[in-house]
Amino acid sequence: MNESTVPVFSVLDVEKRFLLRKGRGGPVELRALDGVRLDIEAGSSVALVGESGSGKSTLVRMLLGLDRPGEGRVLYDGIDLQQVLARDRSRFAREVAFVYQDARGSMNPRFTIGEIIGEPMRVHRLHPAQDIPRRVALLLERVGLPASVAVRYPHQLSGGQVRRVAVARALAQEPRVIMADEAVAGLDVSVQASLLNLLRELVAELKVTLVFVTHDLGVASYLCNRIAVMYLGRILETGPVDSILQGPAHPYTRGLLESFPRFDRPLRAPLRGEIPSPVDLPAGCRFASRCPCVQPQCTEADPVARALDGRRLVACLFPLSGEVAAA
Amino acid sequence: MDHPAVAEEDVPLLSLQAFSLARGKVDVLDNVAFELGRGQTIGLIGESGAGKSTIALAIIGLLRPPEVALRGSIRFDGVELTGLAEAQYRQLRGNRIGLVFQDATAALNPCFTVGAQLAEPLSRHLGLRGNERRQRSIELLESVGIGEAALRLDAFPHELSGGMQQRVMIAMALACDPQLLIADEPTSALDVTIQAQIMELILERVRARSASAIFVLHDLALAAQVCDRVVVLYAGQVVEVAPAGELFAAPRHPYTRALRACSIELGQEQVLAPIPGSVPGLEDLPAGCRFAPRCDRASAQCAQTPPLVSDGIRSVACWHA
Ligand SMILES: Nc1ncnc2c1ncn2[C@@H]1O[C@H](COP(=O)(O)OP(=O)(O)O)[C@@H](O)[C@H]1O
Ligand SMILES: Nc1ncnc2c1ncn2[C@@H]1O[C@H](COP(=O)(O)OP(=O)(O)O)[C@@H](O)[C@H]1O
Ligand code: SF4
Ligand code: SF4
Ligand SMILES: [Mg+2]
Ligand SMILES: [Mg+2]
Repeated sequence: MNESTVPVFSVLDVEKRFLLRKGRGGPVELRALDGVRLDIEAGSSVALVGESGSGKSTLVRMLLGLDRPGEGRVLYDGIDLQQVLARDRSRFAREVAFVYQDARGSMNPRFTIGEIIGEPMRVHRLHPAQDIPRRVALLLERVGLPASVAVRYPHQLSGGQVRRVAVARALAQEPRVIMADEAVAGLDVSVQASLLNLLRELVAELKVTLVFVTHDLGVASYLCNRIAVMYLGRILETGPVDSILQGPAHPYTRGLLESFPRFDRPLRAPLRGEIPSPVDLPAGCRFASRCPCVQPQCTEADPVARALDGRRLVACLFPLSGEVAAA
Repeated sequence: MDHPAVAEEDVPLLSLQAFSLARGKVDVLDNVAFELGRGQTIGLIGESGAGKSTIALAIIGLLRPPEVALRGSIRFDGVELTGLAEAQYRQLRGNRIGLVFQDATAALNPCFTVGAQLAEPLSRHLGLRGNERRQRSIELLESVGIGEAALRLDAFPHELSGGMQQRVMIAMALACDPQLLIADEPTSALDVTIQAQIMELILERVRARSASAIFVLHDLALAAQVCDRVVVLYAGQVVEVAPAGELFAAPRHPYTRALRACSIELGQEQVLAPIPGSVPGLEDLPAGCRFAPRCDRASAQCAQTPPLVSDGIRSVACWHA
C-alpha cells in the first residue's frame, strides 16, 4: 500500500441508526452501523462479508451516497462525500457504478437490453447518440453475450445472462469504482463461476476498484484481494485475503471460515447461536455472546480495531494470531 | 399400509428402479435408479432443473397421477409406493417419512402457533393428547436446539428467525421418529454459520435414530461432508452414483468432474472452469447422451444413450468414463 495515495473511500467512524416504531415503550433504536472504519484503496478489490443483518448493505448505501451517516463521515478522494454530492452529484454517479442483487428487478421490463446498456452513456453524455449502438455491441461482447441480445427484453434472458447485462450496464458508465451487493448469489455453480471469471478479468483489465458484498467467503476469496468482516454494524477484521484465510485473527473470522463447507474437512459448527438484534447492543465486545474465546474482560471494554502485522486491523482484545502493533 | 412381517435388514430402505416421471409429453425424470440403505445418507446434486426436487416430491406422493405419469418403481421398506392412494401416503408423510424444505416460511402455516403445528403430527400419527402432547412438543423443540421451548410453543412463525423456523420444521419432521428424512435444500437460504449448525443437528438426530436421509444440495463440498453416497443428476437422468469421498476425489463422469471444476475451494489457488453452454430444456433434449453438447470428451458414440453401468460400488453413465 502506498502511503502517499489517498484512498478512494475512507469510512470514518460511521454510525447509522434506524428508529423502529414497534416496541412497548415507544420507538426503539436499531444501530445498523456502529463505528465503522474502512479505507478502500484505488485499484483494490474489497469484499464485505458477514452474516445477514451485519450491516453490509447499509454500509454500501452510505458509500453510494444513498443514505447519510448519522455520525461520522465518508470521504471520497479525501473529500467529504456530502460535499462531493452537493458540488457534482452526476459526476459521482458516473464514477461509482452499482450492480444490484436483483438484476432483473433493476431493469425496466419495457426497455430492450440495448436501451438498458445505452442508458448510462446517454445520461452521462459519454458518447454521441449515433455511436451508442456500436458501444453497446462492444460491451455485450465484453461480457460474453451475443450482439443479438441487444434487441431482446430482460424477461427473455436467463438469470445468468441478466447478471451479465447488469455488469455491462455498470461498465457503460466507465466507472472507476464498481460496487455490487450479492451480485452472484443464488446462481448455479457453473453460471456463478463464469460470472466470477468475468468480474476477475474486468477488474484486472480496467483497473477499477471493486467493492463486493457477499455472504460467501469462497466468492470473496476468489474475487477480491482484501476482506472486511462485519458483525453487528462493525468491521471486526480487515486484511489481505491470503493472510486472513491462513490465519484469521478475530474469533468471528475463524468461526466463519470453519463453518464454510470443505471437501477436505468434516462438517463442524464452530459458532453457536445467531447474530443478536442490533437493537440492544451489549456492553463490551459485540461478539462476546458467541465467542468461543471469551474472557471476563471482553464484556467490559468495546475492543477498538488495532493494527496487526502491519497488514491487518482486528477488533479483539485477544486476537488469535499475529503481532499487535504498539498503539 | 402394512409393515412387512419381518424387517428385512438387507433390503434397502428405499430403492428407485427405472423410475420415470412425465408431465404431459415432457419426461422430467428418465430411468432414475438408486438405493438408500438403512442408517445411510444420500445426496442428490446437479444444476437447477435436474429433477432433484421432483424426485423428493415423487417419493412422498406429492407428485402423483393424474398430474404426472409414472413408470418404474419406488419401494420403501419393502412396499411399492407408486400407485398408493393419498390416504396411504398420509400414513407415511410426517410419520415414517419426515420432510424438510428450503423455505420454512412456505412450509409453516403463518396463522398457527409453533405449538399447534407441532401438535398436528403428534395427534394424528401418535395419538398424543393434552399434557403428554405438550411435553413431547417441548422435548422436540429442545432436541433441535431451541431454548425457552415452552415459551416458543406460543410463538407464530414470523416471530422467529429463519434459522429458528428451520429448526421448527426439523422438529416437526422428526416428531414421529421417521425412518427416512428428506431434506430439500434445507440450508440454502441460511448463513454458513447457521447452515453448519442445522446440518450438524440434522445428522446428529438422524444418526441417533439410525434413520436414513436424502439431502438435496447444491453445494458439492457440503454434500461431501454430510452424505455417505451421492447421486449426480443431469437433465432428469442419473449420470453417476458413488460414495461421497470417492466421487469428489475421483469423479468419473465428465459432468461430475465439470461441476467439481467450477466449485470454489477455500484457500486454493484455482481458476474456475465454467461448463460451456447451459442445461438443455426438457422439451428439446439432445439425442443420445444429454450432456454431449457441453462435454469435452464427446465422440460419435455419444449419439447413443450411455447406460448406467455399475461396478458394484460406483455407477456411471458415460461411454468414455
Ligand atoms: N431501512 C431500515 N429500517 C430499519 N432497519 C434497517 C433498515 N435497513 C437495515 N436495517 C437493519 O439494519 C441491520 C443491518 O442490515 P443490512 O445492512 O441490510 O445487513 P446485511 O446487508 O449485512 O444483511 C439489520 O438489522 C436490518 O434489519
Ligand atoms: N410445476 C411445474 N410445472 C412444470 N414443470 C415443472 C414444475 N416444477 C418443475 N418443473 C420442471 O421440472 C424439471 C425438474 O425440476 P426440479 O425437480 O424442481 O429440479 P431441481 O430441484 O433439480 O432444480 C425442470 O425442468 C422444471 O422446469
Ligand atoms: S474481544 Fe473477547 S469476546 Fe470479543 S472476539 Fe475477542 S476474545 Fe472474543
Ligand atoms: S457419454 Fe460422451 S458426451 Fe456423454 S458424458 Fe460421456 S463422453 Fe461426454
Ligand atoms: Mg444485504
Ligand atoms: Mg429443487
